[in-house]
Amino acid sequence: MIQLVSFYIFASIVIASAAMVIFARNPVHSVLWLIVAFFNAAGLMVLIGAEFIAMLLVIVYVGAVAVLFLFVVMMLDIDFAELRAGFVKNVPLGLLLAVVLAAELVLGIGAYQAGAVALGTPEAGAATVSAAVPNIEAIGGLLYSKYVFMFETAGLILLVAMVGAIVLTHRKSHGTRGQSISSQVQRRPEDATRNVNQPVGQGIEL
Amino acid sequence: MTDLSQYLPILLFLVVALALSSAFVFLPMGVSRLTGTYKPTEAKLAEYECGFPAFEDSRSQFDVRFYLVAILFIIFDLEAAFLFPWAVSLGETGWIGWGTMMLFLFELVIGFIYAWKVGALEWE
Repeated sequence: MIQLVSFYIFASIVIASAAMVIFARNPVHSVLWLIVAFFNAAGLMVLIGAEFIAMLLVIVYVGAVAVLFLFVVMMLDIDFAELRAGFVKNVPLGLLLAVVLAAELVLGIGAYQAGAVALGTPEAGAATVSAAVPNIEAIGGLLYSKYVFMFETAGLILLVAMVGAIVLTHRKSHGTRGQSISSQVQRRPEDATRNVNQPVGQGIEL
Repeated sequence: MTDLSQYLPILLFLVVALALSSAFVFLPMGVSRLTGTYKPTEAKLAEYECGFPAFEDSRSQFDVRFYLVAILFIIFDLEAAFLFPWAVSLGETGWIGWGTMMLFLFELVIGFIYAWKVGALEWE
C-alpha cells in the first residue's frame, strides 16, 4: 500500500518536474527542476529494488551532473532578448525538428505492440542473476566478469573525456606561483634565517 | 527482491521534512494575508542592495576553469562509483575482476597524471 502510494507520488512528481524543466523560462530554474526529477527517479529506482542505481542517481546525477549543467548554463550567458529576436528566422528549422520528433514519437508508440518486451523474464542468452544476492553484488558480478570489455571501454571514454576537457579549457596561467614540494621540503632553517647579535641603538645591516 | 521496509524511515523522514519546510514557507504567507499585514507597495517589492540600486544582472559569465574542475570531479566520482560493486563482488569475480579494475584504474591514472603534469589541478 505504502509502496503503491509512494510510487504514484514519485512518478507524478517526476513527470511534473520534467515538464517544468521544459516550461521554466529561466534555464537555471530548469536545472533545479531537473534535480527534483533526479531525486524522484531515485525514489522510483528504490521502489523497483535497484538500490545501487538509486544511490548512483543521487550521487552522480544530483551531485555532479546537475552541478555541471548549472555551470554550463551559467557559462553560456544566454541573452533572452536575442533568443526571442531569432524566433521568426528559425521557425522553419524548429518546425522541421518538431515534425521529426513527432514522427519518432508516433513510430515509437506504433512499435509498442510490435516486439513486446516481457520485463522480468530473461531471454535465453541473457545473463541471469539470482534474486537472492543484493543488487550491487549482482551488478558487480556481471560487470567485472561478463561485461569486462564494456567496463574497460567506459574507462577509456572517461580518459578521453578528461583529456578533452583539459585540452579544451585549460589555459596556461602566467605569473602563478605553484607549489614545488621538493624544494619546500628541502629548505632548512639555515637557508632562510640567521641569528644577529644586535647592539642597542644601532641600525641593522641586511 | 530487496526488503523495502528498511527504506520506510527514510520515506517518513522525507515526508516530515517536506511538511515542515512547506509549513515554514507557506504558513507565514497565509498568516500575513489573513491578518492584513500583506500590503505590497512598489518600494517594498523593489530589490534592495545595501543602499544602492541593484545595477547588475545576476547572470554573469563564469570562468571556464570552474567547468574543468566540475568535469574532473565527475570523472573521479564515476570512478569511485565503479569501485563499490567491484569491492562487494570480488569474492565472485576473483582475480579476473581484480585485474579488470586495476586496468580501469590504470587508464584513469594516466589521465590523472596528465591532468597533474599539465597543471589542470592548479588554481592561481
